[in-house]
Amino acid sequence: MPDTMLASPAEEFPPTEYHVRVGGRGEAVEILNFNLWYGSKQALFDNTLSIQAGLVTALIGPSGCGKSTLLRSLNRMNDLIDGLRISGTIKVEGEDIYAPGADVIAIRKRMGMVFQKPNPFPMSIFENVAYPLRVDGVRDKAFVQETVERSLRGAALWDEVKDRLHENALGLSGGQQQRLCIARAIAGSPEVLLMDEPCSALDPIATAKIEELIDELRGQFTIVIVTHNMQQAARVSDNTAFMYLGRLVEYGDTDTIFTKPKSPRTQDYITGRFG
Amino acid sequence: MAMDAISSPETASTGRAGTFPSRGEGHPQPRLLGGKTRLLDLKAEGQPNLWLLGGALCIAIVMILSLVLLVLWNGLATFWPKPIAVVTLTDGSLVAGEPSRTATFRVGQEVLATLPPETQAEIAANGGYASRTLYRTGNFDLYGDDFRWVADFQARSKEFPRDMVLFERQEWGVFVGRIASFVRDGRTVPVTDPWADEVRQAHRVARDRFLQIRSIQRVEIGEVNHHLESERLRLRRAALRYPEGSRELEAARARFVEREAFYQRQFEELSARAQALMREHEAETVTLVEIGGRERVQPLGTIVRFYPANDLTFFQKLGIYGSRWLEFLTDEPREANTEGGILPALFGTVALTLLLVIFVTPFGVITAIYLREYAKQGRLVSAVRVSVNNLAGVPSIVYGVFGVGFFAYTVGGSIDAVFFPEKLPSPTFGTGGLLWASLTLALLTVPVVIVASEEALAAVPRSMREGSLACGASKWQTIRYIVLPRALPGIMTGVILAMARGAGEVAPLMLVGVVKLAPELPIDGFFPFIHLERSFMHLGFHIFDVGFQSRNSEAGKPMVYTTTLLLIFLILVMNLTAITIRNRLKRKFAGSQF
Repeated sequence: MPDTMLASPAEEFPPTEYHVRVGGRGEAVEILNFNLWYGSKQALFDNTLSIQAGLVTALIGPSGCGKSTLLRSLNRMNDLIDGLRISGTIKVEGEDIYAPGADVIAIRKRMGMVFQKPNPFPMSIFENVAYPLRVDGVRDKAFVQETVERSLRGAALWDEVKDRLHENALGLSGGQQQRLCIARAIAGSPEVLLMDEPCSALDPIATAKIEELIDELRGQFTIVIVTHNMQQAARVSDNTAFMYLGRLVEYGDTDTIFTKPKSPRTQDYITGRFG
Repeated sequence: MAMDAISSPETASTGRAGTFPSRGEGHPQPRLLGGKTRLLDLKAEGQPNLWLLGGALCIAIVMILSLVLLVLWNGLATFWPKPIAVVTLTDGSLVAGEPSRTATFRVGQEVLATLPPETQAEIAANGGYASRTLYRTGNFDLYGDDFRWVADFQARSKEFPRDMVLFERQEWGVFVGRIASFVRDGRTVPVTDPWADEVRQAHRVARDRFLQIRSIQRVEIGEVNHHLESERLRLRRAALRYPEGSRELEAARARFVEREAFYQRQFEELSARAQALMREHEAETVTLVEIGGRERVQPLGTIVRFYPANDLTFFQKLGIYGSRWLEFLTDEPREANTEGGILPALFGTVALTLLLVIFVTPFGVITAIYLREYAKQGRLVSAVRVSVNNLAGVPSIVYGVFGVGFFAYTVGGSIDAVFFPEKLPSPTFGTGGLLWASLTLALLTVPVVIVASEEALAAVPRSMREGSLACGASKWQTIRYIVLPRALPGIMTGVILAMARGAGEVAPLMLVGVVKLAPELPIDGFFPFIHLERSFMHLGFHIFDVGFQSRNSEAGKPMVYTTTLLLIFLILVMNLTAITIRNRLKRKFAGSQF
């Protein structure tokens, strides 16, 4: 790591300068001066960025830079951690999700989430996808049936599993499991799809399929994807945010970030000089 | 180089075997000594520890296996028909019985003095010891004892006559002797062959009649008594509720008088029928002759089973063996539990264990869910957890005392006062019974379930919970649909452990409802069909009672082994069932984390 990296990023690079707003259909998620502490350790420093509706936004950065933490803050999954403290606001469609009295469950229903490791539930393929509807108390069988099929088609899994919908989901391959998790995430008709390194546990072929799928889902959902893989970010995303040590360093159009980054630190990271 | 290493201060001066020269300091490990392989350093290799561990395991296995084999052998052999020996003693008298066991004993001086000199010399050569055999002679009503020791020097000859018959009787234990004659339709029929059709058939008829009498007395008259008792209680309830002279009380009295007369008539009818059968039963007698020639006349119907013990083919023996097992499993005990069956005890044990599971599972699982999922992890929860773990170490008799004091007297007493005032002062729930016993055992075993369930809940991967929460499920929905099913096999393990412990527990039960002999099963045909307030029998207590509390523990010994075998078998079956269920669940909810 170059010595210059050790200096406080905040002093070195006033972040706002490099932040651009590009494309999309307006703001889906707006993050304003968001800070987060695990106990006494601060993990996120004053992050401000707006995520554009209908686009794919990639969060990149070295390990431990806080990109997963930021992602998990969007649907309040971090609430499960003891001693968590935040300041600042995150607005989804203009509504502050950290406002006192905000309905966490309703917020999570608006955000589908796909995790690093495929985590299908130990039940049938059908029930896995129907789960968001089940917890909503949907009784209408035809509607459930239709939603499951639509979600599985949406996740490009339908043709592979249509004959064994009632078999245990744990019998699927890793890549299929991850697409099943994507189907599950979109079955609840969320507005935003959060993906936390969705391909890191998959082989290259399964990864290619997921990337293809993300491309297909573009436009239907606002997608935020955390990835370690810069090629992946370059391939699938419209906008890219580069984070470092809990701070947002640069945010903008993916092409610009990868070809003409404004910050030398971004330059170093994407050219592989550290990370 | 090698010599250098050996004389290095590390190994040589300290002499600590097992301390390798540390690699970091550049001392090569010594391997060769003057061309010979260096002696193996046992301690360093860890070999003695391995032997210790393996040895401990072997000892444990040998102990368990010998226990199981002992119980299996003795338990299975109990019902096999044994031959009857007839021993002619030196004084000319005869002893007939099943040889039960042989032991050596020191011959007392006063006995020794009465013996002929050559026998004395023989005993002296044996260091004052002689061998003797215990014969199960039966005939308690004639001899006043079931067993008799016969010393080898007392016996002149021993044979196994083919006509010796063993009779199992309803009362007084077995009779060993011969069958002389039986009475049928007022005429006496002499018997020469115990297998003869006429005697077999007469026995079957007499036996059926006996069972019919018993059924009238127990079932039908029992039913009438039950109705009579409930009418009496109804009147008493009315008397408690309404003032003297009121219209309701008068109506209740009138009804009682009418119903009582009705049931009284029924009762008389039934007892007349029973009496008639009884007269026939008593008229058809059988004359048994013991080896010394004394006769014993008794109704043929009181003979449960008889067979010429020395004249049996293998299949006949097998038939007797099977019929004894059938009686053991399906009949009530007789002769102070030393004979007959153990059905009430078997039933009580199963019912108790099932109730225990029904009580302990929800209680333990709910507690574990709260402790693990909802309670704020802090000092208080740690203290609760430690206390729960310590509860498992409290002696079980303490739970028995608590059960009788709290459940039976306090809770049961209150229930009686509120719901069954008409029966007081005789308690309904205010004494030990199936319900209180199973609750006591549930309390005793709940720590096991809590600890196992907590561990099972903690082992559910975080990714499962997060997946569910991210779908918009509430915490309870996540627990209900995702966490609990995943944790179920682990919870089942706890329930299996609790069940195994509960089924084998005896001490607390003696205080909260187990009895020596419970004539009524806790389930019968009278509303509400399941009578949880009733006292019951239990295999574990049965073992204690038969083996150590009965008039004749020698006679009960085989029963102890058989009952133990059955108890072990029962626990095995219940555990295997539970394990099978658990494994199915495990397959269903198997993790796929890769």
